[in-house]
Amino acid sequence: MAELTLEHISYIYGARTPFEIKALDDVSLTVREGSVTGIIGHTGSGKSTLVQLFNGLERPTSGRVLLDGKDIWEKPKEIKRIRFRVGLVMQYPEYQLFEETIRADIAFGPKNIGLSEEEIEERVKEAAELVGLEPSLLDKSPFDLSGGQKRRAAIAGVMAMRPEVLVLDEPAAGLDPKGRDTILQGIREYGKKTGSTVIIVSHSMEDMATYCDDIIVMAHGKVHLSGSRDAVFAHARELCEVGLDVPQITRLALLLRERGVQMPDGVYTVDAALDALRPLFQ
Amino acid sequence: MSELFIHAKDLWCSYDEDDLRVPVLRGITLDIDRGEYVAILGHNGSGKSTFAKLLNGILEPYAGELTVAGVDLTSPDLSDDDIYALRREVGMVFQNPDNQLVATIVEEDVAFGPENLGVPSEEIRRRVDEALATVGMSEYARHEPHRLSGGQKQRVAIAGLIAMQPSCMIFDESTAMLDPVGRREVIETFEKLNREQGITVLTITHYMNEAARADRVIVIDDGKILADGTPREIFADPDKLKRAALDVPQCTSLVHGLRAEGVVLDGEPITPEECADIICRALKEKTNG
Amino acid sequence: MKNISLGQYYPARSPIHQLDARMKVILAILYIVCTFLCKNVLCFAAIALSSILLILISRIPLRTVFRAIRPIIFIMIFTATINLFFTKGETLLFSWWKLQIYMEGIYSAVFMVVRIIVLILGTSIFLTYTTTPIALTDALESLLSPLRVIRLPVHEFAMMMTIALRFIPTLTEETSKIMNAQKARGVDFSEGGLIRRAKSLIPILIPLFVSSFRRADELATAMECRCYRGGKGRTKMTVPHLHVRDFAALVLMIAFGAGIVMLNRYGFGYTV
Repeated sequence: MAELTLEHISYIYGARTPFEIKALDDVSLTVREGSVTGIIGHTGSGKSTLVQLFNGLERPTSGRVLLDGKDIWEKPKEIKRIRFRVGLVMQYPEYQLFEETIRADIAFGPKNIGLSEEEIEERVKEAAELVGLEPSLLDKSPFDLSGGQKRRAAIAGVMAMRPEVLVLDEPAAGLDPKGRDTILQGIREYGKKTGSTVIIVSHSMEDMATYCDDIIVMAHGKVHLSGSRDAVFAHARELCEVGLDVPQITRLALLLRERGVQMPDGVYTVDAALDALRPLFQ
Repeated sequence: MSELFIHAKDLWCSYDEDDLRVPVLRGITLDIDRGEYVAILGHNGSGKSTFAKLLNGILEPYAGELTVAGVDLTSPDLSDDDIYALRREVGMVFQNPDNQLVATIVEEDVAFGPENLGVPSEEIRRRVDEALATVGMSEYARHEPHRLSGGQKQRVAIAGLIAMQPSCMIFDESTAMLDPVGRREVIETFEKLNREQGITVLTITHYMNEAARADRVIVIDDGKILADGTPREIFADPDKLKRAALDVPQCTSLVHGLRAEGVVLDGEPITPEECADIICRALKEKTNG
Repeated sequence: MKNISLGQYYPARSPIHQLDARMKVILAILYIVCTFLCKNVLCFAAIALSSILLILISRIPLRTVFRAIRPIIFIMIFTATINLFFTKGETLLFSWWKLQIYMEGIYSAVFMVVRIIVLILGTSIFLTYTTTPIALTDALESLLSPLRVIRLPVHEFAMMMTIALRFIPTLTEETSKIMNAQKARGVDFSEGGLIRRAKSLIPILIPLFVSSFRRADELATAMECRCYRGGKGRTKMTVPHLHVRDFAALVLMIAFGAGIVMLNRYGFGYTV
């Protein structure tokens, strides 16, 4: 439903102090409408700053953030509206739960938008379903839930605002494989169902390979690589050189190619590797 | 010669001491020798962390036998002094790097443990310098902990344990909140301690790639031991791991996938290097044969 | 956000930095006493001069020093105005409507301002700028340790202080994170009346409390695991020793105090 574009964005922390740090340096990028886009990079690569620029929590030192072609800082007083259109789930969002019940917490955002009771009720239900929270959990206190369930409730709280762009900072951090898959699948499902653009920030190249259409690789405050998943993984060697943890399969494909085995570009899933190797054994 | 360090027999434990109906651990039996490097693997809520917390007396089992470093934790006349003595031997690093550092300066924090033990001042100084050097944080000795990265904080926490000169360290999901760089820093640090100083290392994790590096993997599911063996033995049965809501390394999956399609492959690879070897060998045999 | 450090310690190598923290606490107290001993222009000139000297010796940049004064500028202007207009004296300088300014008023306003500035500078140069909060806590623990006789838990207080100091930056960072998270859900902290604004704090305070309790709980466990059992039987890595320089500083300060007392006798102009 919405396209997000950054034009020549720079962001400096503590400008004009001895602690001045350039977090982002002339970053330009476009997140395609309706895509699931992954942003990856080391801590300190500027990706967490990027996330806060998307919904106007931070204002860039220079450059423009465009939502559907319009500068979000055109009317600074109306930045709150942008936050309803670009939803942000921060790292470890379970620590922001505060209401007595999960239901009330998920309803908090929609209530702030000013939706009607029925509309809120419906959105809570829908969001809970997307992240895989059983209805019986909705009337429980956040304290009675497991860590993974709390995480899902917090993400549902932002989904219920039905943002046109959903941005998530490390949504799966610290979760076990099953918890991770449930959440990432739910996020993808949200994008598909509402047509919204989804941006996932993550350290895990493996998650990116499984869940994202486009990938943006950040390094030292700049865009290092960007493009479709296949295009980015075609640069597997370069990714290794930046020190990113590429999926095991990608490293295997590189090794095999070095040894003269015919492997296509951009092999990053077990299934793709199976497809590539199968003909060789027949 | 191997020497028994942890002996657990049919351990039962519940988080809520008054309510024993929902036990978190349901009959854990295992022995761990001094100097072993063991990964305890399980999904969230499997009971793996609960088990770790029994080992230095944070939690108590309500049934079974448990002896750690010669201290019988299930003995009826276990005293506070026994637990105190045990905690000198068995150090623990927790998940959240922020919530285990006490002091506002790195070296003061490392000194906290030995200060509690009543070690003489000059000796503490020596131990602190040595511990910081071991974890590679000497240049940060006078820094404030909150300015460090997650991985650095965890290394400071490890240094704080080293300064107490324990014989065993338990890492209770100590890498879960770190980025890949921090994770690598922490793992390399404790592997070095295990290798060079013979410290028994138990790492509690749900990351398959971390467990694969250990000498022995114990899989806990639903409060029981599901599997116990070398990583190679454990990953030979991907279905079993999937039932416990765990992953297998991608290379292991690939080899099992190829086998399912009738390709003959020898061995159980864990790393891409091993996997590449196996595949190349099989391809060569095919062209030769 | 990461640059918050409580008690603006300024790292440098100066004679004042090198003094023992316990001695610095005593010096700071004596210095405060000195400012209150000042009674006339000469004394105030002397103490103002001494402050400038202290800044120079401590090697703290002027900009940093003024940062300590900035928050109290309003109070200074306020007290100065009150003193200026409400001090009655003999030499009337200016009179308009109900406002009268006497020479004594000017003196008293200037004295007041100098006294406040010197108070702030003295304590921040001896204590906050040149002494780390942790050294300060240790110094207070050590100076107050005789009170253990009357069963005052001095060590426990000091430990609480240390932990508070340790966690202030962590919690500040956490607060801003939670604020951002709730802003993203549409909370506006700058909108509406007092009640609405107070209400908008709930989504911040509750998560902050919850997380503080969780942190406290985890920290307590971690401390127990590191064999903490209170102050009994504890040793310290750094046992501070008083050096010759510490005693020299003490002698200097006492001499300065004596000098002030002497100067009080040779005052001219207005006397407090």
